[in-house]
Amino acid sequence: MAEANPQPLLAVENLEVAVAGHPEARILRGVTFAVNRGETLAIVGESGCGKSMTSLSVMGLLPAGVEKTGGSLRLDGTELPITDNRKMRKIRAARIGMVFQEPMAALNPVFPVGKQVAEVIGEHMSLSRSAARARVLSLLDQVGLPDPERIAKSYPHRLSGGQLQRVVIAMALACDPEVIIADEPTTALDVTVQAQIMRLLKQLQIDTQVAIVLVTHNLGLVAHTADRVAVMYGGRKVEEAPTRELFLNPQHPYTRGLLDATPHPDRQRRGGKLLNEIPGTVPSITDPMPGCRFAPRCAFAQADCQAAPPPEEGPAGHRVACYHPAAWAAQDKTEAPQ
Amino acid sequence: MSTSSRSRPWIFLGKRLAYGLLAILAIAVINFFLLKMAPGDAAEAMAGEAGTATPEYIAELRAQFGLDQPVLVQLGHFLARLATFDLGYSFRYGEDNVTLIFDRLPATLMLMSASLLVAVIGGIIFGVTAARYANRAPDQAISLVALLLYATPPYWIGLILILVFSVWLGWTPTSGMVDVLAFNTGWAHVVDVAHHMILPALTQAFFYLAIYIRLVRAGMLDVLSLDFVRVARAKGISESRIMYRHALRNAVLPLLTVVGTNLGGFLGGAVLTETVFSWPGVGRLMFDAMFARDLNLLLSILVLSSAFVVLTNLVVDLLYVVINPTVELK
Ligand SMILES: Nc1ncnc2c1ncn2[C@@H]1O[C@H](COP(=O)(O)OP(=O)(O)OP(=O)(O)O)[C@@H](O)[C@H]1O
Ligand code: SF4
Ligand SMILES: [Mg+2]
Repeated sequence: MAEANPQPLLAVENLEVAVAGHPEARILRGVTFAVNRGETLAIVGESGCGKSMTSLSVMGLLPAGVEKTGGSLRLDGTELPITDNRKMRKIRAARIGMVFQEPMAALNPVFPVGKQVAEVIGEHMSLSRSAARARVLSLLDQVGLPDPERIAKSYPHRLSGGQLQRVVIAMALACDPEVIIADEPTTALDVTVQAQIMRLLKQLQIDTQVAIVLVTHNLGLVAHTADRVAVMYGGRKVEEAPTRELFLNPQHPYTRGLLDATPHPDRQRRGGKLLNEIPGTVPSITDPMPGCRFAPRCAFAQADCQAAPPPEEGPAGHRVACYHPAAWAAQDKTEAPQ
Repeated sequence: MSTSSRSRPWIFLGKRLAYGLLAILAIAVINFFLLKMAPGDAAEAMAGEAGTATPEYIAELRAQFGLDQPVLVQLGHFLARLATFDLGYSFRYGEDNVTLIFDRLPATLMLMSASLLVAVIGGIIFGVTAARYANRAPDQAISLVALLLYATPPYWIGLILILVFSVWLGWTPTSGMVDVLAFNTGWAHVVDVAHHMILPALTQAFFYLAIYIRLVRAGMLDVLSLDFVRVARAKGISESRIMYRHALRNAVLPLLTVVGTNLGGFLGGAVLTETVFSWPGVGRLMFDAMFARDLNLLLSILVLSSAFVVLTNLVVDLLYVVINPTVELK
């Protein structure tokens, strides 16, 4: 699917983000990815690796004190006017919808939820009052909320987290956007509700061909929902591959570490640990280390890793930024006969 | 459980009214004793004015006013009259206390509403602007002025305003409520009163304006850091709509509570402002009653003011429930 389309819907290229006035505090150090219509790209990585900053950059909603310092963000071939709030407003929700992590905090406590969905419609679509109302109800129905009339009149504190997240999704979908960015949309929810919300997003994608960027650190979620996965570490993308390929054949030591760090009953049955943690901590955004940012924690690091950041290499379908990809394959061989 | 109290407001109302009555009663009793402890009484003051301060004459006056009775008997009489909404008669003014107070009330309420509006609306506009440009030039300017207004005594502000706008510039009258020589009627009268009201209203408003600016600014900064503001931005709505609709609606809740508790303060401030500007209101009446040792009139004003404050606080609490859907009546 990705290869067939010459121009991706959303293309992020060499995105650089830093703390304003502190160019050495580089939060994103050249992030590149693209998404096509009807496709789901997952962005995974440890806390602090820059996933949210990436999504907020695309919305033009970087927090005060953080700014884009380089790279390009293109929607359907056109550069996003992220520094022009007036122009960007016409794109937010209308062309790029966003779903956030904390549904409990995402809605304004003093307005009924129906009004908050209607606000998006009122801003971007010229519909009559009654048509807008009807659209709110049909959206609430579409996201699987029972009794939309009643829900629309409810204040946020009367609804559960799962219900609220459905409302937030209805808000993100209200103007038929081309892209939805979902930043940890299920992290705050119960496991059963998580699955429901992800199924809902997938179903909506089948119905509307919306492109989804799914930000998460839950690899289990990724396995079932994403077409492709981009793995981030320390403000960089370290590996990107189709989901199945990434799970079966990870190339970057960090990706492998992440996969090992997901609870794995099989491995436990084979006598291993349920969970392997990656030792060490993420480097600070101000750390000027010249080479691979994973080197201090990498079991396969060698002298050449410290010199310069490893470039992205490999076939179009499976890119990896590492000087010694899948180094464990060689190690496993030497360890095998004993 | 909490839903039930929200859906049965009369229980809340009944409770609050009962508490309110108790509070008024307590205020009446405490003030009664406080004023009894004050030196001098109406008889002495009146006799002093009449220039015939013979002990016999004073005793006669005391007997006439019931001031020779034991204190507890006087208290009993006072409370009994209060129960029938009879606040007594002012010998000083030769008029029922209630009539005296209610004649002056419109002037005070008008001044109070005007200054309240200036303080609240100004507080919101400047507070929101300061928060929107937090730590940048507009915020720094607003915060500095707010600090100055907060730190300067109101009577001094009043005198400076009179000096600058009335004496030097001649834009506004120095005192009073109407131009007594003009005999304005209709629209001209309204304009005349408004013209006279500018300075006293501003004087009384400034202190609270400063408080409200700081309160709204802090509240807005709190609210603006919340997730739903970012979500609102992601909807593509304008920054002013985010400020005034999404954030302010939340930030205004603590303001409402504070304004409610300040209503008594506005009334108290009226004494000072009305005296400085010779504004013919209840505050001025209270000041005069104090000088004339017309303790009964003073007490009547205090009791009526407390009733007024209790009632307005109740209204504010009800408003709070209307504005904030998450609050429950208790
Ligand atoms: N307002 C800010 N000012 C300066 N630095 C910030 C700010 N917000 C985040 N950062 C830094 O940017 C880096 C990336 O943060 P980001 O929120 O994108 O991480 P994340 O991958 O989304 O993590 P999580 O999984 O915890 O959500 C972090 O190291 C953080 O310290
Ligand atoms: S480049 Fe070197 S240090 Fe970095 S991940 Fe690859 S092997 Fe490890
Ligand atoms: Mg995040």
